[in-house]
Amino acid sequence: MTRRALQPLDITLRHGRRYQWIRRAFLGFSVALTFVLPLWHLHALDVEGAGIAADSRWAKVAQALPDTPPPFYGAPTSVWIGVLELVDPLESLAVALFQGLSWNWVWTVLPGVVLVVVLGRFFCGWACPYLPILAAANAARWLLTRLGVPLADAKVPRSASRVVMVGLLVVGAFTGAQLVPLLYPPAIIGREVFRAVFYGSLGAGALVVTGAFLFDTFVSRAGFCRSLCPGGAMFSVLANLSPIRVHNERSKCTDCTVCDVVCNLGQSPMTNGLDSGCERCGKCIASCPTGALSFTLAAPPLVQLVRVRVEGVEQKATGGAERT
Amino acid sequence: MNRRVLIGAIAAATALAVVPKRKRADPKKIRPPGALKPGAFEQACIGCFRCAEVCPTNCIRFPSAFSLDQATPYIDTADKACVLCMKCTQVCPTDALVPLKADPDVIAKEVRMGVPVLERSKCLPWNGQGVCRLCYQVCPYPEAAVELVGPQKAPLFHADACVGCGLCEEACPELAQAITIEPFGSEAAQPKPIPGRPGLKRGGGPKG
Repeated sequence: MTRRALQPLDITLRHGRRYQWIRRAFLGFSVALTFVLPLWHLHALDVEGAGIAADSRWAKVAQALPDTPPPFYGAPTSVWIGVLELVDPLESLAVALFQGLSWNWVWTVLPGVVLVVVLGRFFCGWACPYLPILAAANAARWLLTRLGVPLADAKVPRSASRVVMVGLLVVGAFTGAQLVPLLYPPAIIGREVFRAVFYGSLGAGALVVTGAFLFDTFVSRAGFCRSLCPGGAMFSVLANLSPIRVHNERSKCTDCTVCDVVCNLGQSPMTNGLDSGCERCGKCIASCPTGALSFTLAAPPLVQLVRVRVEGVEQKATGGAERT
Repeated sequence: MNRRVLIGAIAAATALAVVPKRKRADPKKIRPPGALKPGAFEQACIGCFRCAEVCPTNCIRFPSAFSLDQATPYIDTADKACVLCMKCTQVCPTDALVPLKADPDVIAKEVRMGVPVLERSKCLPWNGQGVCRLCYQVCPYPEAAVELVGPQKAPLFHADACVGCGLCEEACPELAQAITIEPFGSEAAQPKPIPGRPGLKRGGGPKG
């Protein structure tokens, strides 16, 4: 019997447990908001609606409703938290393509962009409501492999997600519609949960998410997040400015490849080969048997890219050297 | 061939092959109040469903079948009508619904969700089947948008003063279902005279 390939579920998370628990709590909060907000608002509407139904002149009563909006509302890609407006950068960009820039646009897009530029692609690893589904797909892969079912793990190049992103923007511009919310899992999941809670039905978006789950299970591990998700591509582009980086202290590293295997997004912490696609999930750090990995501050990927280019042009022997 | 180029080519070919044949986003839908013009609205709405979340009557819906405007909200006035609280306009993150104050004068000026179409052959008073007046009673702009004419107190709609909230459509008795709110520009929005009754005064025609 041949040894089967190492899978993420085979790997114990040893270090950085606190980081993992904080991340899971944050993710739990995000997923809970996705599910609880519609329920909460449905309840609030029942209370308000009772007052409206008592009067035949509905419109007059509706205008007497309190004017203050609820403290939280919205979808995962466009959420209002107290005073903070978080709108997905890609969806904002798609809107700006049609509408042009306005101050309202700037205020809605700014907090999200600043967070991603500082922290990197952390929404993907910390807040995306697709993550539980991805975890289920990984668990299914692990189980099926144990049962001896051969599973493909196609390495779709990560640049494909940028093609999807640009494609959605360009095709959307030609058809005059916002296409990103149709193929972007957090947007779909929020909408379908809302639909299920409010109307007790599911729409076609559920099929897209199911398709992503099947793709991740049978075709390519975390392939949707890594190679197809348009929003993830946008985060990756912005994260080129993020100064946070996983650093491998080579003297402690035993080249066991565990960190490379545990990474859902095809990064290679073992060789210090991380780029802007890192979602800051910290699993590589947690899984390292010798504790060689840690988060550090470093020059953003963009600076490094430029530096490598420049040094390549100047024919310096040290071209591409890591500086951390 | 470079793999990256290949994938880009495949994606572009798929897009060209699939998308133009799909139906364009449907402009003939009743949108929530304050919505941008058909076309511009579909370009600005990111389908975040905040509007539907805050709607107190739960009248804002999303299509469930797969289409280009699957993520955009509409109002099914026959089922639930808009009560003009304007909350949806105030929470929209992209101003696809332009923020409006819940002030009757502002609403009367800014909001045009659709036009009312009365099928007089179905309307009870117009057919001498009694006094109804339900549409008049629920109308947020009585006298302006709908007035009662004749001894039967039959409703006469004025599309130019109507905001298209659909309260009349919702209130119209099950038996009759004479009123429908039609989106602007649809053929059905032309008022239909009753055959054989040419003398009746017509209300204001549908606006642009």
